[in-house]
Amino acid sequence: MPKPIGNAQIIVNGLWNDNPVLRQVLGICSTLAVTNLLVNTLVMNAGLIFTLSMSCLTVSLLRRYTPMRIRMMAQTLIIASYVIVVDITIRAFLPDISEALGAYVGLIITNCIVMGRCEAFARNNPPWPSFLDGLAVGFGYALVLLTIAMVREPLGFGTLLGYRIMPEGFTPWTIMIMAPGAFFTLGVFAWFIKAYFPKTGEEKKEG
Amino acid sequence: MKKRLFSVVYMFLITLFFTSMVSAVKLLSEERIQVNEKVKLQRIVLNVLGILGEEAPSDAEVLGIFDQRVKTISAQERTVYVGYAEGGRTVLGYAFPVGGPGFWGPISGMVGVDSGATRILGIAFYRHSETPGLGARISEPWFTKQFEGVKLFPIEEDRKIFYLKPEGTGRAPNELDGVTGATGTSRAVEAFLNRELDRFLADFRTSLEKG
Repeated sequence: MPKPIGNAQIIVNGLWNDNPVLRQVLGICSTLAVTNLLVNTLVMNAGLIFTLSMSCLTVSLLRRYTPMRIRMMAQTLIIASYVIVVDITIRAFLPDISEALGAYVGLIITNCIVMGRCEAFARNNPPWPSFLDGLAVGFGYALVLLTIAMVREPLGFGTLLGYRIMPEGFTPWTIMIMAPGAFFTLGVFAWFIKAYFPKTGEEKKEG
Repeated sequence: MKKRLFSVVYMFLITLFFTSMVSAVKLLSEERIQVNEKVKLQRIVLNVLGILGEEAPSDAEVLGIFDQRVKTISAQERTVYVGYAEGGRTVLGYAFPVGGPGFWGPISGMVGVDSGATRILGIAFYRHSETPGLGARISEPWFTKQFEGVKLFPIEEDRKIFYLKPEGTGRAPNELDGVTGATGTSRAVEAFLNRELDRFLADFRTSLEKG
C-alpha cells in the first residue's frame, strides 16, 4: 500500500511532476490527432477530463467490492460507459465538432491515461483523492494539448479559434495540419520541458 | 467456488447498471441527434439546389423551407430531392447523392441539377477522410462554386463532363481548378463524379421516356 499523499501533492503531480503526456508519454495517439484546431482540442480535453475523473471516482467507490481477478473487465466497462455518454452528448449538442473528432472520442476508451490512473491510483485510494487525481491528470493532459494546438493552428491554418491571426500573405505550413507536425511540436515541447524543468529529484543535465 | 460465483454476479450487476445508464442517456438524446442529422442533410440539399443562396438560416428555418420547397422521391433505386420554385409548382431542379472512392476513403457528396438536367446548380461534399488542408479542401466553397453552371451531357469517349486541371490552367468552361497538393483526391473526384453524373443522366432519360 503506497503512503497516502496530500491533495496539493496530487494536483502538482498530475499537472506537472507526472504529467501524463510529457513525463509518462501516455495518450500520444490523441495528442497527435486532435490538436490541429484549438476548438477540437478544447472539446476533446473536456471529454477526457470528464471520463478520467468520473472513471477514477467510480473505480475507487467500487474498489472494496471488485474482485481482483475481474477488475480490468470492470474498469473497461466503467470507462467505456462514460466515453459513450461523452460521445452521445457531443453528437447531440456539437454535431460539427463530433464529425471533426471522428473516432477519437470513442478511442478515449483505450487511452492509456484513463486506464493507467484507474489501475495505478484509483483502485488503491479513497474516492475524493481519486477524483482529484483524475482531474489533475486530465488537466495535465489538457495543458499539453492546448499548447500544441496553439502552435499548430496558427502555423497550419493561420488562425486561432477560427480567427485569422497571421498576416494576409502568410503561407500555411501544411505539415502542421498533419500528424507529423504534431510529432515535431510535441517532441520539441517535451525536450524543452525535460531540459529546462527537470523533475524534482532528477538532475538537470548539461549539454 | 463462492468467490467465483460472486465475480459473475458482480460483473452482471455492474454491467446491468452501466448499460442502463448509457441507454438512458442515448434515449434522451436520440431525437436531438436525429434532428441534427436531418437538418444537416436538408441544408445540403437546399444549398446545392441554390434555394438558400448566400444566407445561412437557423436549423428550424431549414426544416420549414425544406418542407415547403422540396419533395423526396425515389426513382430508379435512388433518392432524388425535387426542388420547387417559391410557392409554385415549377420544378427548380433535382438534387441527388453521389459518392465514390477518394484518395484515403469514400467521399460522399450531393449534386443539384436544373429541371432539364442540362447543367449543374450546385455541389457539396459532406463526408470524406481526405487530408486536412489538402484533399479536404474539396469541401471549400472556392472548389465547389466552380461547378455551378457546368453543362451536362452523356459522356462519350474522351469527352468528360468536367476536368480538374492544375490550378489556373483550365481554358474551357468545363476545365476546373483541381486542388494543388492533392492530385490523388482531384483525380478521384474527377473519376467518380463524372461517372455518377453520367449515370444520373441515363436514369433521368429513362424515367422521362417512361413519363
